Amino acid sequence: MNLGTIVWLASFPKSGNTWFRIFLAGLAAGEHGSVDINNLHQHLEAPGGIASSRAEFEEATMLDSGLLPCDDIDALRPRVHEWTAARAREERWIKVHDAWTLTSLGEPMLGRNTARAAIYLVRDPRDVAVSLASHNNTSIQKAIELMNAPDGALNPGGRGHLTPQLRQKLAGWSGHVTSWLDQTSVPVLPVRYEDLVADPLAGFGAALAFVGREAGEAAIKRAVQRADFAELQRQEKAHGFRERTSGSEPFFRVGRANAWREVLTEDQVRAIEDPHAAVMTRMGYSLSLRSLGPAPEGLLRSAENVARIPGLLRVSA
Amino acid sequence: MHSYLIGGLRVSSELELAGAIPFRASEPPVDVTIRRRIVPADLDRASATGPTWAMANGRFLLRVPRLARFLMTDGREMAFESEPGVADRDTAVFALGSAFGILLHQRGTLVLHGAAVAKNGRSLAICGASGAGKSTLAAALCEQGYSLLADDVCAVRVSAGRSDTERNGLPAVFPDGRSLKLWQQAIEHLGLSARRGGAVRDAFEKYYIDPPAAHAAPAPLAAIYILQEARLPHEAGIEALELPDAMRALGGAVWRPRLRDSIAQPRQALTQVTALLRDAAVFRLIRPRGFELMGETVARLGRHLDQLV
Repeated sequence: MNLGTIVWLASFPKSGNTWFRIFLAGLAAGEHGSVDINNLHQHLEAPGGIASSRAEFEEATMLDSGLLPCDDIDALRPRVHEWTAARAREERWIKVHDAWTLTSLGEPMLGRNTARAAIYLVRDPRDVAVSLASHNNTSIQKAIELMNAPDGALNPGGRGHLTPQLRQKLAGWSGHVTSWLDQTSVPVLPVRYEDLVADPLAGFGAALAFVGREAGEAAIKRAVQRADFAELQRQEKAHGFRERTSGSEPFFRVGRANAWREVLTEDQVRAIEDPHAAVMTRMGYSLSLRSLGPAPEGLLRSAENVARIPGLLRVSA
Repeated sequence: MHSYLIGGLRVSSELELAGAIPFRASEPPVDVTIRRRIVPADLDRASATGPTWAMANGRFLLRVPRLARFLMTDGREMAFESEPGVADRDTAVFALGSAFGILLHQRGTLVLHGAAVAKNGRSLAICGASGAGKSTLAAALCEQGYSLLADDVCAVRVSAGRSDTERNGLPAVFPDGRSLKLWQQAIEHLGLSARRGGAVRDAFEKYYIDPPAAHAAPAPLAAIYILQEARLPHEAGIEALELPDAMRALGGAVWRPRLRDSIAQPRQALTQVTALLRDAAVFRLIRPRGFELMGETVARLGRHLDQLV
């Protein structure tokens, strides 16, 4: 039985993690509140933050993380997460992009008995590639390389500068999914981004039920409305969004499932589907290559939107 | 034994401390001694423990994995024991950083997490999270006629008395070191390769940089800048913080603020921050992303400081 205070909100980057946190903020805002996307902490009862926070690591260890090799930091992280879990008085949702890995000492990097449950958000890797390229302001090719690299990581270190986040091993897209779904330390509920988009009420509700969080249907409905994509885009257009990292593309960009059909080339689709076929199939994402034809009616967007994403070529219909 | 002046304290040390200000003491008293000793792996009857530390009754044990253990007692003694095969240089960088920061906390000194530089007899502190660019900005300022006071662990003299005579002068930053620690990428962008000293640790792309000038005396603290990278909705620029924002920002700029209250007297930091705010202004300094725009930030900061007095 797992009695930790943490609930991991785990995902590969660009798979709906921020959207989920906005939903949680909307839930915490109560009956008459509203959500400010640039001040999510204000709404979350326990400002969970992210598991790879450099500031949290330094506060917990008293050490200067810039003077420690990444592997030494990883070896300390089980203790850091145990410390965080022990200090939390109530359930604490923490975002995490790290794959589920073991340290050099063979223990789970996210600690033992730190979390009561994990929600694992998974999104069609073809959409992830498009979103990741936009978010990182890189080419689609670069995004696919990161998704295909078994030793890939965010902030891999050794580049001669420091980032606000610690290194996060991603293990490639397939490796990330299987690392979380096949580990046996924390009960985990996989949630497909596409299912959340199609039926947010059911998706968010199932996630809350899984972690034993009680919330009435009316409260969940309100939170879903507050996390509505049109509202998020409106706020970002008016004020910007602090979690956007770089580039000129908005953070809340398309948000729809299947947007990849409009932007990926056949080579790019193949570069994703070939190495990830097994896990895609396991997660219910059908492979497209043999049936790649005209994109379905209504999914096409203007060439202007496509051209704004660097390095993109359009699939010819 | 080596003698240094660190955070306004006379330090006698068996460990050579690269970057610290040598101090020629003709005679004692010495404020702090640093000695090579056998350091336990844990403390009996610890009142609080963390991932790398334990504290009990005036003592604080810090473990740096695969490197060394430090035991600080009553703000007066630091014992250290390196793991076999660890070079003194590697131990020294943690002795001067985290271990000394804890020791200053034990003494109740106000310690800011930031770098400080001085010009025309006034100092400014640049505070912010690790990775915000504090040392890089301080290095750039040092190329523009500022002299270095402190890097990363910044001890501030604050007198909490109520009247001016009780207060014994303005709050001031104690001179702390002659070197900055900079990442290779920052060194290249600032064109400081000629000033590059040794690596701070083996196989690390972080190096000591000797600035053109280091300040040797405490310098009155005129302004504290909380450095952040531009993130919407905040654009690059400088903005004055009024109470209570200034109070909150300064509280967060204390080095390892949450543990500070466990090590020193609770609420003492609050009193010191309140006292500091009487004489020093607090600003939020938002810098654009990217090293290539560092010159813009330096120029903006220079103009801002000129208008301050």
